[in-house]
Amino acid sequence: MANYGMAFDYKLCINCKACEVACKEENGIDLGANNHRLWIDTTEPDGDIWDLDLTQTRYMPTQCQHCEDAPCLKACPNDAIYRDKNGIVRLYNDRCDLSLDCIKACPYDARYIDTRKKITDKCLFCADTRLARGETTTACQLTCPTKVRIFGDLDDPQSEISKTLKSREYFTLKSNLGTKPKLFYLE
Amino acid sequence: MKLIETSRRRFLKSSVALCIYASSSFGKNTQLFNQSNKVQTTLINIPYLCNMCRNKCAGFAQVENNKITKLNPNKFFPKSRNMLCPKGNAGIDAIYDKDRLKYPLIRIGNRGDGRYKRVTWDEAYEYIKDKLVNIIDTQKDNRSTIAYCNGEGFNKDEYIKFFGDKIGSSNFLDEGSICLNTKLGATLLTIGDVGEMDVAGSDFVLILGANRFESLITPDSIDLVNKKFVVVDPRATVTALKSSQYLPINPGTDLALCLSMIYIAIKNNLYNKQYVKEYFKDFDKLKSHILKEKYTATWASKKTAIPKEKIEQLTKDFFSSIAPLLYMGRRSVWTKNDFQLRRAMVLINALAGSINRKGGIIFGQPISLASEEINTPMYDNTKERFDLDGIVYGSSKGGSWLNFRDKVVNNTAPYPVKAMFIRKHNLMQNMPNIAKTKKMLNMMELVVVLDTIPTDTAMMADVVLPECTYLEREDMVVSFGKLEPSLALRNQVIKPLYESKSMQDILKGLGKKLSRPLFDISCKYDSELQDSIKELGKDGAYIDGGYDLTELYKKSITQRNKDIIIPHFGQKAYDNLVSKGVWYDNMEQYHKEIFNETYEYYPEDKKYYTIKRDYKVNCYLEKLSKNGFDPMPTWRDEYNFEVAKNHFRFITGRYVNFTQTATTNNAMLRDIISTNHIWINNKIAKKLEIKLGDIVEVKSPQSSVTIKAYPTNKIHPSVVWFAHGFNSTSEAMTNSYNNGANDNEIIEDKFEKIYGCATMHHTNVTIRKI
Repeated sequence: MANYGMAFDYKLCINCKACEVACKEENGIDLGANNHRLWIDTTEPDGDIWDLDLTQTRYMPTQCQHCEDAPCLKACPNDAIYRDKNGIVRLYNDRCDLSLDCIKACPYDARYIDTRKKITDKCLFCADTRLARGETTTACQLTCPTKVRIFGDLDDPQSEISKTLKSREYFTLKSNLGTKPKLFYLE
Repeated sequence: MKLIETSRRRFLKSSVALCIYASSSFGKNTQLFNQSNKVQTTLINIPYLCNMCRNKCAGFAQVENNKITKLNPNKFFPKSRNMLCPKGNAGIDAIYDKDRLKYPLIRIGNRGDGRYKRVTWDEAYEYIKDKLVNIIDTQKDNRSTIAYCNGEGFNKDEYIKFFGDKIGSSNFLDEGSICLNTKLGATLLTIGDVGEMDVAGSDFVLILGANRFESLITPDSIDLVNKKFVVVDPRATVTALKSSQYLPINPGTDLALCLSMIYIAIKNNLYNKQYVKEYFKDFDKLKSHILKEKYTATWASKKTAIPKEKIEQLTKDFFSSIAPLLYMGRRSVWTKNDFQLRRAMVLINALAGSINRKGGIIFGQPISLASEEINTPMYDNTKERFDLDGIVYGSSKGGSWLNFRDKVVNNTAPYPVKAMFIRKHNLMQNMPNIAKTKKMLNMMELVVVLDTIPTDTAMMADVVLPECTYLEREDMVVSFGKLEPSLALRNQVIKPLYESKSMQDILKGLGKKLSRPLFDISCKYDSELQDSIKELGKDGAYIDGGYDLTELYKKSITQRNKDIIIPHFGQKAYDNLVSKGVWYDNMEQYHKEIFNETYEYYPEDKKYYTIKRDYKVNCYLEKLSKNGFDPMPTWRDEYNFEVAKNHFRFITGRYVNFTQTATTNNAMLRDIISTNHIWINNKIAKKLEIKLGDIVEVKSPQSSVTIKAYPTNKIHPSVVWFAHGFNSTSEAMTNSYNNGANDNEIIEDKFEKIYGCATMHHTNVTIRKI
């Protein structure tokens, strides 16, 4: 039992995509341009080469937000989406009929279609692999050269993520939607 | 704005309907990657060292039922600090690449056309023996008629011991002369050591051209992210975009910037006078030279296109910092002034006192490993290498590729080179002027390639010997690091797949086949050997003279590692290397987690920041002036940056996902970046009506390529860039064949004369939309 969340010290991201490759290898994601559980949104400076405003540079790793109020969960007509005992938004694969309501409902573009399994797939915080083995890291977190991600139990006040969120400023994405995401971006 | 090479996520929503029933364009090997929801119980983790690039990070390979299912970082290694980059993670796809070389092959078609027949190892060895015996007999036992080369850091010394020490050739070539020898040489000749950069300890890092966030070298790339650093580069790389200040510069003019920094520091007394007094040799010569030449900021501004005020401010910021570091990059030979540039960079570090101290160029205390003694034959008729003729210094180990190749193809070498043994060195893609490399290989009577994949170079081989990958072999233990030294061991994770073998096993097999026949040729021509035979008999002379080529491989690698490690460092060190992959003194005590999977390896007071050593900073190199070169860094008008109207200077570099040619066939990495694009300044592109994705022809005086365009504001208007390593011509490399453009097709082959290094950033090109 845990309430897993993830904090991103995103200013440390160098856009190397080690996380994306580690995720694909860990979770057996099919190759193909649209298939990924996590990605990096990039913003780079406008303007002229001689006068670039570097403060515009932003590499923003992101993935499923594991919203406390998850639009995908409510949207699924087959009740295929559920929240597991660790607070992770999951899917009963056999109930998914690719109605795609979850994809349309997700404000974060977190889901894609796994054509091999014929389901909509997304980040599970490595629930089927690492967490199932009793490990408490995700593949993306561990492999990162600059350790952008802090992963852990939000309900444990002693966890690194809880301590970090207590001591540092952060924001969440599209907080106005009331989805209560569990990915936190550190300032 | 968005990079074309990055996120494809936005594509998803609009194309959902289209892709529901479309299958993936690539299919992974489902047998290996079809992960079920249940967790296997037979999971083991074996420590290994990565080989996807030069850096050598440490990892743990997760093995289930003899298959590698995941590669994870190793938290014990001070050098790579618990991380694996995208390439490291994609190592699995290198092991299970369907294009791998699986069996020994003998050519049945013409060189380059890719027609081979599968043979047994014995047939391959037999073929090599017959050819080689004939060649060496014809050359009257001049063993240097064999050239041998190696592009992989690991096992290089083993390879040299076989072909150099045992077989007796003088002609070894490696990647140094198409990479970083000017930097190594300049540092060595100036401060007596190649050093190590302490990025973590510096409070101000100045980077000229190096791209540490897209060409990862640990721990530098990791440490840099928390630093204040300035990047000078004609191209706004990711490193530049993440810097505190980015200064675009005219390519090839970094030396002018450095000379001006030296001028300003001396003129304004900004340099560390105490350090200069204690360590500099010939400082007075440097001072008068620099002041006489008047390398002012105004002067440098005209050369570099960096505003005068910024040069002045940069110099002040650098010299007023506590521990400034002018960072020396890699793959760094840009133009013919490169050696002088690297010297100037070392001198600037030295003027700031940033040598042998925290945050500077560290000497440190690497762990030394005992060398294994072998009995080396003396060949009377073997001739010296010739590729350093006309080179002032040059590396006596790895030589000069372009000079070597020129002498071979022009028939100006003092003796014919008739055979080449090429190990993991893709000559047909890795150096400028591919047509010339092809000509050189076509002049050989025997070309043997040892590699893991069917490269363009393998397609030129008569015999292809499939080597296993880094995860299928144990290697000799390696000493890493100077500031935080450690030993690291590449353990074998799985047995070699198919019929591939480790390099040692290949050389052992070859040695068994070649030892006696090659000895017999020496008996014919070698008078010293003939004397020895008279005294000891033929068998006695064979044994006494060390002609058994398999001597080093009588013992297994495991046994040899034990023999090197246990007597010097103890059983516990060996056990640690086997179970954790890493060992250093007091590791259990020192190694501890700081926060979030980040570790400390040595306590601050145990790091080897400063060591006792007598050394001098050499301002003046007499040997250079004797050979007609500037003994101190000097600007020459010929270094000025100029391109004719409608021309661009072509420069090359990296994407973070690819190292060199070997990684561009990797299915996983290709999935992240599908091809290379040419960067062209957006304003120029608009004038030329070139849009994103347009195919353009890039033409140099040497050749031309076609490539997709990427108009961007991130590049100097007179410069174009694309990444190295693309467009294999070998059809057997299914992902990299005919995909993108190859930089070495258009780069003119020129080399600087101090170290004989190929220069990469001197070619001017035109661009035409087609």
